[in-house]
Amino acid sequence: MSAHGSIPVLRIGSTLLASIQVELRDTIADAFQEDILQTIAKTGATGLVIDITGLEMVDSYVARVLTNTGRMATLMGTHAVVVGMRPVVAATLVRMGFRMEGVLTALNVDAGLALVSELIARRHGAGQ
Amino acid sequence: MPLQYYMEKLYLDEAEVESRRHFFEITADDLTRLAGLHSFAEKHTDDIVEDLYRLILGHPEAKKQFTEHATLVRVKQAQRDYFLGLFSGRCDLAYVQDRLRIGIAHERVGVPPKWYLGAYARYLRSIFDRIAVELPDAAQARAAYQSIEKLVAFDTALAMDTYIAAQLGALERHQAAIRELSTPIIRLYQQVLLLPLIGTIDTHRADQLMEAVLLKVVEEQAHVIIIDIAGVPLVDTKVADHLLKTTEAVRLLGAQTILSGISPIIAKTIVNLGMNISAMHTKSRLAEALELAFEIIGKRVTSIAKNHPAAAAEATEKS
Amino acid sequence: MTILSSENLILASEDDVMLARRKVRLLAETLGFDPFTVAAITTATSELCRNVCVHAVKGTARLEQIGSGGRTGIRLEVRDEGPGIADIDRVLSAGQRSVGSLGLGLSGSRRLADEFRIETIVGRGTVVTVVKWKRPA
Repeated sequence: MSAHGSIPVLRIGSTLLASIQVELRDTIADAFQEDILQTIAKTGATGLVIDITGLEMVDSYVARVLTNTGRMATLMGTHAVVVGMRPVVAATLVRMGFRMEGVLTALNVDAGLALVSELIARRHGAGQ
Repeated sequence: MPLQYYMEKLYLDEAEVESRRHFFEITADDLTRLAGLHSFAEKHTDDIVEDLYRLILGHPEAKKQFTEHATLVRVKQAQRDYFLGLFSGRCDLAYVQDRLRIGIAHERVGVPPKWYLGAYARYLRSIFDRIAVELPDAAQARAAYQSIEKLVAFDTALAMDTYIAAQLGALERHQAAIRELSTPIIRLYQQVLLLPLIGTIDTHRADQLMEAVLLKVVEEQAHVIIIDIAGVPLVDTKVADHLLKTTEAVRLLGAQTILSGISPIIAKTIVNLGMNISAMHTKSRLAEALELAFEIIGKRVTSIAKNHPAAAAEATEKS
Repeated sequence: MTILSSENLILASEDDVMLARRKVRLLAETLGFDPFTVAAITTATSELCRNVCVHAVKGTARLEQIGSGGRTGIRLEVRDEGPGIADIDRVLSAGQRSVGSLGLGLSGSRRLADEFRIETIVGRGTVVTVVKWKRPA
């Protein structure tokens, strides 16, 4: 388990689970992104679930960091899913005109882990 | 409805009150004159209110309105307050609020405008007679009467505004109730929601809908929501845009939206407008949307074999 | 329109942005704004205050509770003496693909606010004012 600042990152099999519980300041968000990517590189994680149930506000900066983290992880071969977005956050992002493109979403941690498993299975099933 | 409601609906703040004072030509002189007549008013208030009630009780229809004794007493007191209020020397926000409270009391009892507008006219006649006695100097009497007349006109405008605002308030509540009834979000099945939209969708309603949808999806942890628009008469760019926004927001939560009830007209509109709705699942029939929803959550509807009494409807898990 | 309360804030660091957000959220919640409106004004605040710290190094914000005709609202004026914005129309109509964070932050705030005003002079600075009203019951 690794942590940077106040964002704990758990390993569940070969999937990383990061739960963001606190209000994110920009520097923490940046450090989080860096930490996740380094951890993926180090562990070869095939899945990443970012749980943002604890975030009551996501502005364009944080949304961009989350989206980019997901995209970067995907480039590194990791299936990334953002889960638990709150209704007020989703409404605010679409009203602002921000689109979180290139990132998968799921309702909660369980759904996120299930999605990651399915994607990994599909990839193996399809044959490399 | 509380005082705050009327203040809001009538945009009543200091600036608005000043604007009205200006238009009704109520000057500081008027107010000073009226304050100076306060003791005159106190002396005659009982008589003048009795004048009014003689008028009401002498009129069969009006009398019916006030036959209940408690009502009569309460309204009489309100009338005394109203009358004396004319001579307070104020015409500010606080004065307006006092007037509104009296209007609200009338509204609650259900007094229609013809009675209290008729009452104002009765007051003016009663005052005219007595002012001539109190102020023998014709010029003074005239000035006093005019000041009173201006303030009564100001109050009449407020009374009308209150009445109209109350009617509009009732109308709005009915409309809100209709909206509520026409947009229930139904839990169709575990993890599947259905929102049958009926009626026109304006921006305000669309905003409310999106919020209600998002809250319900998270509350139910629903994987799919079917939005059926067969009951929406007009689908233009704005409506399509609202639906797109809602779909995107639902996706951010981690769920999917299926839009059903796409008629040929709506299909033509959307394509001809060049809108990109490739991100949405769409179906023409609700039944098809339902099948897709089940597929998304990994279920399938199958037929029960005929002549098999013990068979129960089974949902087959798709692996 | 009346100003019922007013508070001045310094914007020079990340901590100041966080504090501004917290104060706006607290005020909105205290005034009984619904959660969606609270999120809108808090997010707009974050965007505008961050822009100041990132693009202008520092500035100030004035947070006011306002009233008009029985309505209650929040007004936030964010001011800096930074470089100003050269192509304001382009920046305001910016979508996500705009260069840098300035565009989306500003256009996003505008979309989230009920009223939006911006005055900017290249080389002198920028003032952005946003207003959000409490929804009628």
